Amino acid sequence: METGLRVLLLTALLATLPGCAWMHHRSSPPPPSTQSVPAQSADEAPPRVVEPEVARREVKVPKIRSSNVEVGLYYGELSIEDFGGHPVYGVTAAYHITEDFFFQAEAGRSKAGRTSFEVLGGNVQLLTESERRFTYYDLSLGYNFLPGEAFLGRGVAMTSAFYLIGGFGGTDFAGDTKFTVNFGAGYRIVPIDWMAVHITVQDRVFQSSLLGTTKLTNNLEARLGVTVFF
Amino acid sequence: MITRARQWALAILLLLAAMCAPAVSAARDYLQLFVTEPYLELHTGPGRGYPVFHVVPREDSVDVLFRRTDWFKVRTARGVEGWASQADMLKTVLADGSPFRFPLGDRAGFTNHTWEMGIFAGELGSATLVSGYAALSFNSQLQIEGSVGNFLGTFTNGVTGDIGLAHIILPEARLSPFLMLGVGLIHTEPKATLVQPANRTEQTAYVGGGLRYYLTRRFFLRAEYKAHWIFTRRNENEESDEWKLGFAFFY
Repeated sequence: METGLRVLLLTALLATLPGCAWMHHRSSPPPPSTQSVPAQSADEAPPRVVEPEVARREVKVPKIRSSNVEVGLYYGELSIEDFGGHPVYGVTAAYHITEDFFFQAEAGRSKAGRTSFEVLGGNVQLLTESERRFTYYDLSLGYNFLPGEAFLGRGVAMTSAFYLIGGFGGTDFAGDTKFTVNFGAGYRIVPIDWMAVHITVQDRVFQSSLLGTTKLTNNLEARLGVTVFF
Repeated sequence: MITRARQWALAILLLLAAMCAPAVSAARDYLQLFVTEPYLELHTGPGRGYPVFHVVPREDSVDVLFRRTDWFKVRTARGVEGWASQADMLKTVLADGSPFRFPLGDRAGFTNHTWEMGIFAGELGSATLVSGYAALSFNSQLQIEGSVGNFLGTFTNGVTGDIGLAHIILPEARLSPFLMLGVGLIHTEPKATLVQPANRTEQTAYVGGGLRYYLTRRFFLRAEYKAHWIFTRRNENEESDEWKLGFAFFY
């Protein structure tokens, strides 16, 4: 009898235990739940007056083309001291660093004529044919001294500049290469953005002892050139 | 006769098409910029003295066609083309509102740039030297550089070429020293009047140092010394000193 009562009480106690656990669960504050909070706040949030519609523009920055390099050809007349004037032709490349300054490299070729000594002396040959070839190169710095505009009638305006140029290089003439200093001035006119026309006068000075005495020779050059900007 | 005329017409058409081809391909994407200042001034030429002939009002846009030195050739929405200065372009913004930024030719550019080039005059041994160089920077302190030179002496002429590394010690200083190390080739042409007339090409190695001094805009002065060892085919190697001074610029 006693054992049966004890079993009954124990069964009743066991039956109430989950209930207590459930009660306890109810009474304790709800654990913070990440899911329930936004749902609650979304319900309670006041209705929006202005819907933000900011469309982010994706800007692809295209590379800006630089047009500082100028490459071209020229043709003109070179007066080689003691050897007369002869046609000269060459190539030129320039890099414009600022609106005022540019670097220039150029190479040209001409051919010397005969000295008056050779002309008067009859059959005298001072130089062989290959030695008469006059080839030079130089590296120069130019300065746009007087930039301006040139007008062709009422409708056409072209930018232009008077520039000073000076540098150094070498001259291969009469079987020897000599250190050469060059200086001069030029006029550049830019009819279209990618093209320029130049008129340049330069002096190329180097030491020569070809005619007995050592002296500085001045070799004046006047030329017309056309260049293209890249 | 008619066939001939047709051939000519076809040839001219083809020529025109060929000439127009660059123009068609030139219809590329240009960078569109918006004016945020009260106006953007357009000059008639790429220089400070050229007159202002047009202004672009605030909020309007311009297309950047190309850049020449510190000037930008731009085209407005109405098709007006003109030159805007670098300083004015810094005050424009991209379509997303972010400011337009580009490399400037200033002191910061002297410290950090990609390319530099320059020309020198100097001495190699006892000969006069004319040389040029170009350098590519890996960072503000290390660059790879190549130089070519032409030396013109009393007894020999010749050309040199070398490639090496340069380490800039104080890149942010106006006067910054640097060290160099590299290898090269030297081609010597003794003048014919001497006993040893054979031309020769030999390998060289050099170590050197120098100073660079920022002048203004994109310019700097560069002075350097290189000690060359020339590996000859004879019993002993030659040594040669190279001193030079020149102008250089970066971009």
